[in-house]
Amino acid sequence: MEALAKAIGLIHIAASIALLNGLLTTFGQAKIVSTAIESIARQPEAADSIRSAMFVGLAMAETSGIYGLLIAIIMLFANPLVNQLVSLIG
Amino acid sequence: MPLNVDNIWILDIFGIEVWITETIVNSWIIMAILIALAIFIRIKMRKFKEIPTGFQNLVEAGVEMFHNFAQNTLGEKLLYISPWFFSIFVFIFSSSLFSIFGLRAPTADFATTGAFALATFILMIVLGTRHKKGEYIKSYFEPHFIFFPLNLIGELAKPVSLSFRLFGNMLSGTIILTLYYSLTPIFVQIGIPAFFHAFFDVFFGAIQTYIFVIISQMYVKTAAD
Repeated sequence: MEALAKAIGLIHIAASIALLNGLLTTFGQAKIVSTAIESIARQPEAADSIRSAMFVGLAMAETSGIYGLLIAIIMLFANPLVNQLVSLIG
Repeated sequence: MPLNVDNIWILDIFGIEVWITETIVNSWIIMAILIALAIFIRIKMRKFKEIPTGFQNLVEAGVEMFHNFAQNTLGEKLLYISPWFFSIFVFIFSSSLFSIFGLRAPTADFATTGAFALATFILMIVLGTRHKKGEYIKSYFEPHFIFFPLNLIGELAKPVSLSFRLFGNMLSGTIILTLYYSLTPIFVQIGIPAFFHAFFDVFFGAIQTYIFVIISQMYVKTAAD
């Protein structure tokens, strides 16, 4: 039982580390949006094409954040290695 | 709203178990609604006039908006494929609206998004070989035939990232709403979740649908053009 508790604690720490990539993802997305707003302010007549390009770029930059989220979800809810971890600790 | 996908019943077809999950039933419901809407519009179309009014105006505006959008991203040569993308657009958007009613959205299951991404992948290969013939197969061996594994991995990563993006976004909304419903007392569950639903289902659903469709169109265009 104690080994299972330790394993769950370790898995939660690992999931939170996997979610830390949100820091860099958010930073990159902020950079994309700030550059897009700058270019819209410079050329308001090109706002529509800049906006659609910005959305595609945001989606591309979001991919790594989504991968981190999925890894965290798989580790928390569908972890295939819990039994090995418990037998290793206990 | 539980987190795991429920199994409603198990069919047994010649010794092979076929699982009918909640996702499949929900997507059947959406398909039934969309087919009924399509038949309704088809019957109404017999009475359509030269100068549109009322309901005809709405339908024509929707089709024309998507036609212009597809013309900008796909180009004239591939425009005949745009009805497929319109049906994907309508299905994904209505399935993300489906979780407003407290049911599980079919796009919050990897089976649905994986199937759509696989369809885009097959479309890329078929249209690439149809429009560029041998040049498409040759593009896997550019600039040199040693680069074939790298090109193959790059091509296989496209449907994977496409499906994981939609799945992750929809699943995160479902998880946050499930946490809210299970952690809060009953008197804050009236009214306040409407804002969460408006943000996670309607707003994120619309943006992710737009992004899924525009990125699949870009992939098909780069493969075929």
